[in-house]
Amino acid sequence: MVPEERFKEIVAQYCDVKPEDMKDDLRFREDLGFSSLDFMSLLGELEDEFDVELEEDKVVKIQTIKEAMDLIGELKEEK
Amino acid sequence: MAKKYPLTAAQKIHYRWINEYKTQQVSGLSVVASLKADLDLDLLKKCILKELDRYKCLKVHFTAPDKKGEIKQYIPKKLKLDIPVKDLSDMTMEEADDTMQKWAYKTIDGDDIPMCEFFIMKLPDGYNGFFLHIDHRLMDSIGMVVMIGDIMSLYTHYRFKSEMPADLADYEEVLENDLKRASNEKRFLKDKKFWDDMLDQWGEPLYSDIQGPGVLEESRKKHNDPNLRAADIEREKLFVAVKDYQLEPESTKNLMTFCINNQLSVTNLLLLGIRTYLSKVNNGQEDITVENFISRRSTKDEWTSGGSRTIMFPCRTVLPSDIEFIAGAYEIQNMQNRIYMHSNYDPELIWEEIRKRYNTPKDTSYESCYLTYQPVSAKLENPYLKDIPMHSKWFANGAATKKMYLTVSHLYNGGMNFSYHYQTAALTEKDMELFNYYLMRIIFRGIEQPNLTLEEIINMV
Repeated sequence: MVPEERFKEIVAQYCDVKPEDMKDDLRFREDLGFSSLDFMSLLGELEDEFDVELEEDKVVKIQTIKEAMDLIGELKEEK
Repeated sequence: MAKKYPLTAAQKIHYRWINEYKTQQVSGLSVVASLKADLDLDLLKKCILKELDRYKCLKVHFTAPDKKGEIKQYIPKKLKLDIPVKDLSDMTMEEADDTMQKWAYKTIDGDDIPMCEFFIMKLPDGYNGFFLHIDHRLMDSIGMVVMIGDIMSLYTHYRFKSEMPADLADYEEVLENDLKRASNEKRFLKDKKFWDDMLDQWGEPLYSDIQGPGVLEESRKKHNDPNLRAADIEREKLFVAVKDYQLEPESTKNLMTFCINNQLSVTNLLLLGIRTYLSKVNNGQEDITVENFISRRSTKDEWTSGGSRTIMFPCRTVLPSDIEFIAGAYEIQNMQNRIYMHSNYDPELIWEEIRKRYNTPKDTSYESCYLTYQPVSAKLENPYLKDIPMHSKWFANGAATKKMYLTVSHLYNGGMNFSYHYQTAALTEKDMELFNYYLMRIIFRGIEQPNLTLEEIINMV
């Protein structure tokens, strides 16, 4: 499991939605206004924060907050 | 005593250029921002002085180089900056612009000194405002746009009692975060692997010139190496000329609509257009590299902390001539997305690795074109000022480190501006005219028929 609070705190640095208002089904691009640069920069920061390595083919499929949290959670469990 | 910090990778690029080209002029950035209004110039000066405290990047000083030639940055506890008034109101606007252009050529030389200079400007035709000449290591173009907006918001706050603008992010906090990330060993190794893997996959890059293959051939003769893949860089005659071309609003709308409908970023469409033009004039060369500048502003704090965050990376495109235009665009987009993830890396390390692997001669390059796309408009959003005519202008520093540097930005009227800065030692206005003509033809042919192959488009235009 990824610490949800910390995860959302990081995402909130990139957008105008507060962590407590960040619903799991929010989409990075359409709902939170992430550009490609924002999204890839966020992924780099999440990699460092949660000490995981994201694979490109899986990364491109991520659309929502929940999908990102689930993927990082899975990678952490695999370690 | 002020805390001292090393330079970031983005700042190091400018510092290297200053050393390589032996003049600070290559790091100059100048802009005038003025309104056709009877501004209270004393109040404007007060707002600029306040901005120095809000936007601390403006105060950055550099130490003298140490034995290794490295410098550090710091923000002095106290700074007294004189902001004189310059009255050019009896000139024509063209003459005033020419005068300010000359100021933009000046160098800011010295250690432990302010690296920027503000003037309050009285301009022709009732325009008033300010001029800023600053070292690029303190601020990039987005930083400049944020600062202009903040100064104007301060002015309307004090003058018209509008809301006080929100605090800007602390420069030092964001800097510390950047430096911490850059010193993360795991991150560094991941980034290095990404760039090294690209060389493993594709080998040494191949130069492609705006003027065709003759330029590389000349370098091959000069270095007595028929297999040389890099071409010489101009190091002495740095004078740069600027040529702007505008794309009308209707065509801009078509371009933007194509990008939105195909979930494609404008940068990647431009990169495809540029690399296809280079392929066209280099006998269909498929391996083409264009240097692309990345803003590295993603978090809210990064957007408002000022500083020089723009960094350039090689966008290497190895596209077969039979690939469809739209597929080529997605290939470039995928590559750029991967680069974004590794954009904390110091690009100099990429060149070091290339030089080590391929023994690239000194003062040569694999790229002739550099691109910056600026999605941020310099238009003032301030409701108190939005209907007032504005005269704002960026002035070239007059010394190009790059053969051709294209800045694409949006205009107030909904159109786009293509601003070509080119070294006059190698290129002429005619080269830029041809470049822009074919770039437009390629992009719009591709937008109209995205399933055409690159080869078909090259033959058609």
